[in-house]
Amino acid sequence: MKRSLFGRLWPNVTAVVLFIVCVFPVYWMFSTAFKPTGDIISETPVWFPTDVTFEHFRTATDADHFWTYVRNSLTVTCLAVLFSLIIALAGSFALARMRFKGRRGFVIGFMLAQMAPWEVMVIAIYMIVRDGSMLNSLVPLTAFYMMMILPFTILTLRGFVAAVPKELEESAMVDGCTRAQAFRRVILPLLAPGLMSTSMFGFITAWNEFPLVLVLSKEAGGAQTLPLWLSSFQTQFGNDWGATMAASSLFAVPILILFVFLQRKAVSGLTAGAVKG
Amino acid sequence: MKRKLIAAIGVAGMLFSVAACGGDDGDGKSTGADGYEGQTLTVWVMDGSSPDEWQKDLAAEFETKTKAKVKFEVQQWNGIQQKLTTSLSEENPPDVFEVGNTQTPAYAKTGGLADLTELKSSIGADWTESLNESSVFEGKQYAAPWYFANRVVLYNKKVWADAGLKDTPKTRDEFHDALKTIGDKTDAEPIYLPGQNWYHFVGLVIGEGGELVKKDGDKHVSNLDDPKVAAAMETYKKFQALSKAPKDKDEATPQQGEVFAKGNVGAFIGMGWEAGIAIEANPKIEKDIGYFTIPGDTAGQPEGVFLGGSNLAVAAGSKKQDLAQEFLKLALSDKFEGGLAKANGVIPNKESLQSNLKGNAPAEAAAPAAAVGGTTPLIPEWAAVENAPNPIKTYMTAVLNGKSPAEAAAQVEGEFNKRLAQEQ
Amino acid sequence: MTVQTERPPSGPAGVRKTGDGGPGRPKPRAASRAGALAPYLLLLPACVVTVLLLGWPLLKDVLLSFQNLNMAQLIQHVTEWNGIDNYKEVLTGEDFWRVTLRSILFTAVNVVLTMVLGALTGLLLARLGKRMRFTLMIGLVLAWAMPVVAATTVYQWLFAQRFGVVNWVLDRLGWHSMADYSWTSSQMSTFFVVTLLIVWMSVPFVAINLYAATTIIPGELYEAASLDGAGGWRSFTAVTLPFLRPFLYATTFLEIIWIFKAFVQVFTFNGGGPDRLTEILPVYAYVEGVGNQHYGMGAAIAVLTILIMLGLTAYYLRIVLKQEEDEL
Repeated sequence: MKRSLFGRLWPNVTAVVLFIVCVFPVYWMFSTAFKPTGDIISETPVWFPTDVTFEHFRTATDADHFWTYVRNSLTVTCLAVLFSLIIALAGSFALARMRFKGRRGFVIGFMLAQMAPWEVMVIAIYMIVRDGSMLNSLVPLTAFYMMMILPFTILTLRGFVAAVPKELEESAMVDGCTRAQAFRRVILPLLAPGLMSTSMFGFITAWNEFPLVLVLSKEAGGAQTLPLWLSSFQTQFGNDWGATMAASSLFAVPILILFVFLQRKAVSGLTAGAVKG
Repeated sequence: MKRKLIAAIGVAGMLFSVAACGGDDGDGKSTGADGYEGQTLTVWVMDGSSPDEWQKDLAAEFETKTKAKVKFEVQQWNGIQQKLTTSLSEENPPDVFEVGNTQTPAYAKTGGLADLTELKSSIGADWTESLNESSVFEGKQYAAPWYFANRVVLYNKKVWADAGLKDTPKTRDEFHDALKTIGDKTDAEPIYLPGQNWYHFVGLVIGEGGELVKKDGDKHVSNLDDPKVAAAMETYKKFQALSKAPKDKDEATPQQGEVFAKGNVGAFIGMGWEAGIAIEANPKIEKDIGYFTIPGDTAGQPEGVFLGGSNLAVAAGSKKQDLAQEFLKLALSDKFEGGLAKANGVIPNKESLQSNLKGNAPAEAAAPAAAVGGTTPLIPEWAAVENAPNPIKTYMTAVLNGKSPAEAAAQVEGEFNKRLAQEQ
Repeated sequence: MTVQTERPPSGPAGVRKTGDGGPGRPKPRAASRAGALAPYLLLLPACVVTVLLLGWPLLKDVLLSFQNLNMAQLIQHVTEWNGIDNYKEVLTGEDFWRVTLRSILFTAVNVVLTMVLGALTGLLLARLGKRMRFTLMIGLVLAWAMPVVAATTVYQWLFAQRFGVVNWVLDRLGWHSMADYSWTSSQMSTFFVVTLLIVWMSVPFVAINLYAATTIIPGELYEAASLDGAGGWRSFTAVTLPFLRPFLYATTFLEIIWIFKAFVQVFTFNGGGPDRLTEILPVYAYVEGVGNQHYGMGAAIAVLTILIMLGLTAYYLRIVLKQEEDEL
């Protein structure tokens, strides 16, 4: 069945338009970051930077404690994602594979947990952490970030676990594996794409978190993370768009790379798994 | 690499042992010169309020005197109340901190500030009465007056020369005309005046003889519908119309000094020390900066100004009360108090140190207006008004965007009154 | 990343039903008792941390909502119970209801826009050629991956009054009054930018997930439909839509909770201004509680916010509840 020229054309045209809409803000962020100030504040926008400067990146990274923030952000994000994956894997296996009383309650419970509006509970959390003498520490940050992403991780992983054909596990058990061994040798490898794609959400949530760290870590150079740096940068350099965009670029790059890298695997993993099932 | 790691562990160990010793301070009671060895006093100062050089000298002298170190932490005004309140509730609050004079009564009332009545009697006998007012609450001294300042016009001499202007204006109308001339004859923006420089607006209200709040029984309520306030706002609007600055931002976002530093702004209304921000952003601008008193209605009568200022307070929860008082004694000594006045051109806390302002251009421009300066009401309820979104700022933006002052006053009255009545 | 649908689309239900009664060896009784405990043990860590890290703060928040907690009480660690005063003040004031209504409208508009545009983009992805699909996918992933804080900053720059590229383009296109337009100056313009930002960030998630879902619709279904004489539209409504329904439900649920809680976007872009006209519930709770240092009041608003959110998602939760029941 042949489509008309128009029928073939419009999806592509729409796709190009959508692509531009999606990419332009990201492109504008990077291009502003590399443009000399004169080109940034010019009456006609400079669409493609011709002379590239790293000056704004220098301003951005020269901020006090910049590398401490980078280290803190990486530590907190990675640990939170790791812990939540471990805890969620156990839970999701139970929810996807086993039948037991109260299963429905657990599912609903995690769905409710997913809705928790963390931003409005900031003061309650602050008082708990303060009274536990844990302020200015990465420990409560890691713990709460882990909690923020845990419900989503459990519920999403549950889908992935369920998508792994049960026969595989059973045949492994017939071959003499214990259930735990079967899980480790058969299910876990098949779950890898699922784990990766689930962890992306965790990464972006923990990497971005701002209202909580604002009250829990007030000591400069202590347990502060990059979102704080980015926002204080904005108040200080409010009109220096070059530096602000350089800072935003630096902040966004790890996540962008992670996504572009993982997304392909995750989507293909999902579809592949589904087709096989 | 390895050595670094070892050093890090060493530092961590030290921190730990300091923390472990923290609890002993109270019992020790050894207040001799060596008693403070190894201790570090945390001092919060606001962005731009004291020069690095001054802080360094003070820290050095403090260390020789008490053997204790000082750690200055620079804070931003934006969101400071939220940060300060939570910090004061913590185990390790900043020992000494700068607090704005309009916010001091509220904090005094919370019990978060240590009683400094004794300190006042030992070093504060000659503190200027009017400047000390905000630090006293229910008869007790809760802070020490540190520095005061009022706004002046900072102008770019080069831009003014380009426009053919020779003299600085003496009246409000002359000022307006001069700015218009700049607009007509040069490419520069005549004045950078964002819509929410509310301290300047408060000054204009004081100049009109108006009040922002009035008493209604034993409560304070909005007085924004007063014609005097409206007149002040009209003046503000007239000048704001000459600026391209955003109508819904204040002077700190972005820092107006940095905008001015770019060299194509004729003038702005700010603190004398804001010149320092401009010079830091663009050292070449230094020779072009001039200052004059904000002109009032008639020649010889300066515009009303808001007498801003900061006090130094000690956290009630600080475990280093004695050391903190030692710090205040040194910081407020003639040498450093006078030094700050000299360096920043701010009004010191006592008359005898005024001489430090001689030859300081911004201070000399500020001085004539200081006499007609005033403050926001010194009531504990006031601090809530300054929390974002500040209803006075909302009022200003509303008028600048075309509402009549009466309409704008009616619009924000509810919010304003709610904050003034907020349970403490 | 995928969406948590209630019925994992792969692995037909029949296969899973064979579960425990399968061809495995008969198990001794003791082992089966241990087996009965296994799911609870596996869920234990998740439940413990949830109770500790979410349950406790929630409880604390509820307790705070019955207290008069301001600067003085916070600093001096004083607990001052004031019964339901906070709730009374919030619920009898106009502000709360206005903000609630605004929040619901805001969420509705954004969710509808996101779902419609996202679904259309997802279907478009399915229709595109391989290369074009890959290109668009990259674009979507870039927009999706932008961290909120960075994205909001970038939008502030795009819509900056001076030197902002949007104003320049509008000016060039003939709207000369937009040359120096301040997007933060009015309620509608602020919401416009925030909505654009949120839709921009949320569409990729919906689109990519929906696309992934369409790829697993068995081709036989379409064949059967066309044998029955169904045209393009008919096979879409008869095959595609029913298959995608669980995805659509689940995605809508997630978008509702994410958009309802869009604190960072609204707060960072314009602080809920001008004149508090763009405050949505989480921002309102923050401004009243933390900003205004009226913490007990903030806690009360937070509790009410949670209740409203439960109300908004009740329909979906009911579906889930029923489905889980069917499965057992």
